[in-house]
Amino acid sequence: MSEVTEFEPKIIAYVCNWCTYLGADLAGTTRLEYPSNVRIVRLPCTGRIDFNLLIKAFEVGADAVLVSGCHPGDCHYTAGNYHARRRWMLFRDLLDTLGFDLRRIHFTWISAAEGRKWQEEITRITEQTRELGPYRELYQKNGFRRPAPPPPPPKPQEPAKSAMAAQEQQLRETCTRLLTDGTVQVVIGYGAGGPVFIRRTDDVGKLVWNSDCQANLTTYLKRKEVKRLGKAAIVVKGCDERGLVILEKESQIDRATLRVIGMACDGMGQSKCDDCNVRQPRFADEIIGKAAALPPQAPHAVALDALMQMSPAERMSFWAQEFERCVKCYACRQVCPLCYCERCIADKNRPVAIDTSATPKGNFAWHITRAFHLAGRCVGCGECTRACPAGIPLGLLNLTLDRAAEKHFGYQAGMDPNAEPLIGSYALTDKEDFIR
Amino acid sequence: MSEILAKSALRELANEWIAQGKVVAGPVQTKPGLVLYAPLGSADDIVLEGFVRPANSAKEFVFPRHDLLCRYHAEGNRVDLTNGGADGAPQILLAVRPCDAAAFPILDYVFNWDCRDESYNRRREATTVVTLACAAHDESCFCTSVGLSPQAERGSDAMLLDLGDEYEVRCLTGKGRALFTGTTQTSERTAPPNLGPQPRFSPEHVKQFVDEQFSNPYWQDATLACLGCGACAYTCPTCHCFDIVDEGNTCRGERVRNWDSCQFSQFTLHASGHNPRPDQGSRQRQRVLHKFSIYPDKFGEILCTGCGNCTRNCPEGQGMLTLLTGIDHA
Repeated sequence: MSEVTEFEPKIIAYVCNWCTYLGADLAGTTRLEYPSNVRIVRLPCTGRIDFNLLIKAFEVGADAVLVSGCHPGDCHYTAGNYHARRRWMLFRDLLDTLGFDLRRIHFTWISAAEGRKWQEEITRITEQTRELGPYRELYQKNGFRRPAPPPPPPKPQEPAKSAMAAQEQQLRETCTRLLTDGTVQVVIGYGAGGPVFIRRTDDVGKLVWNSDCQANLTTYLKRKEVKRLGKAAIVVKGCDERGLVILEKESQIDRATLRVIGMACDGMGQSKCDDCNVRQPRFADEIIGKAAALPPQAPHAVALDALMQMSPAERMSFWAQEFERCVKCYACRQVCPLCYCERCIADKNRPVAIDTSATPKGNFAWHITRAFHLAGRCVGCGECTRACPAGIPLGLLNLTLDRAAEKHFGYQAGMDPNAEPLIGSYALTDKEDFIR
Repeated sequence: MSEILAKSALRELANEWIAQGKVVAGPVQTKPGLVLYAPLGSADDIVLEGFVRPANSAKEFVFPRHDLLCRYHAEGNRVDLTNGGADGAPQILLAVRPCDAAAFPILDYVFNWDCRDESYNRRREATTVVTLACAAHDESCFCTSVGLSPQAERGSDAMLLDLGDEYEVRCLTGKGRALFTGTTQTSERTAPPNLGPQPRFSPEHVKQFVDEQFSNPYWQDATLACLGCGACAYTCPTCHCFDIVDEGNTCRGERVRNWDSCQFSQFTLHASGHNPRPDQGSRQRQRVLHKFSIYPDKFGEILCTGCGNCTRNCPEGQGMLTLLTGIDHA
């Protein structure tokens, strides 16, 4: 017998306890026959189905995954399925960029009365998966050779030194004033050799403003060593400031006590600045300087477009090659102002949620989790890519989710301080053309 | 008198080694602006000039970031174990920096101290280290501060020194000699000495400070910018902390050894929730203490080769050099 005829697809179905599970039960009690290829995992609600479970199913050998719950309006917990729907919309786009085969990931609404629909869907999914064959591309490099990179874009112009020197002078004066009148106890700013924490007016001269000021300092607001120093003023660029909008919305900072010094910026002459869309701070308490117009090009968007031109299997091998260099140093997490969990899911070891190993499995799991936890939150400051010692273009994953948020919801993180957070809210009109 | 080898001949030799089935690893231009040590598909992959040093360290070829120790399979009362780990296949590390090579004999101590680490030693014994002396250094380099130099021969089986279109080859051990026998010509040319960077601090002073000034506020003040990632430790040639974890389920799985870093908040976290190193200041102090006091006390060696990778890879531009040169003003 050839291998093709031997292949029996393995399908994992994550179903909600209240609708689909009962629908499947009904199919059984009414003696409706359907393929035995499906293994059901019952969970309280689709809203409770962690996206990592979808990935895990493939890792343990599933050829297709089904997620199914109550029809909109029918959720036992009122809105669990609406939250789930919104997350899947974003998550599907992320999986697409990573090169997962979306034909193997199914979403349905099946009610407790729809035993027949369960039968039909399982039959359809089984037959479709049988045709696709076993899922062999997962995390495979397949000898894919990265095409020759396009010539690097012209190096962004170095910002004008004289304008920056004037800003630097004004910055120092501002900080002297804030420290002298006791508005703040510490200024978190840029120094010659990295971030500095200025507590005395004598040290204000250590503050600098030049093209090395790339770091997003708002990440220090989460650190308890820095919180201990007292009321703070923080130096931000337009891009960094977007993060403050999110942090405030998520109750991580108190804007009443935090003094924000916004530096207008013409880009730092670095690649991370190429895609910038906010160079003039908007909400800062003190704004120093005036930024020039935005640059016309967006090389990272170009890189993502090029990636999306490839086939899913090629995209997966692209990422498998990139992630192969990951050493799990978590610099991407630590520099991110929005990765502020006191205990990251990657550090949970009872039980282990994400393998600590720097293996394809462990690396994909980590990078999927990191990117998706920033869905609708990432402000595109580019720090993760800049920090990575292995040169992994992590920003492309965030950009994918950025685009998905904009495409599906017209949402840009950190732009509008009044906007409801994308994840954590839902709309009845969220589209569901991918759900059967 | 010296031995010399044409640069083109070195690439031919590398291709020969690869054809013999040996793993040959060296600096590879992974992407623009990023050179990493990686296995070579062919000698065309190697880059020998135009950069200061790779962003990772060569330790990962003897102490990989992920090492399978064994596989387990339990069924009923029966447990089957299969050994994993290194198979001891011969490998050649080509054109590594002297600061990477010097790390191997330093690491040998800790992996052969209270017990002999089989996995490490199997790889180490199967490895031949061919060093390329440094021609350039940058402001992060500080090998001369820890007793090494751009031409330090420590840990190398053979050393190559740039002579323009040729290399001077110094075979330092039998292993190195075996690689180059019959391939070199004798010559009068020798490489001029390269003094490298000016020493930036004295390790004795660092040891004295860290031993005597454990509670000095300097540790807290100077490490505020540290974000607690492992970029420094994971690209350091000498950092060797690891964590042993079981991955799988109760019936079937793997016991693996993964890199770990003292800069992670979880590194010293007790099950009770107490953390004896509760902040980045105490974690950075530990890093200095281990490298400049504990290791020297135990093994007589500084656990640092001055490669500067900690500074180059730190997202915030910190690193050993920043911390250690600051001690003078503390």
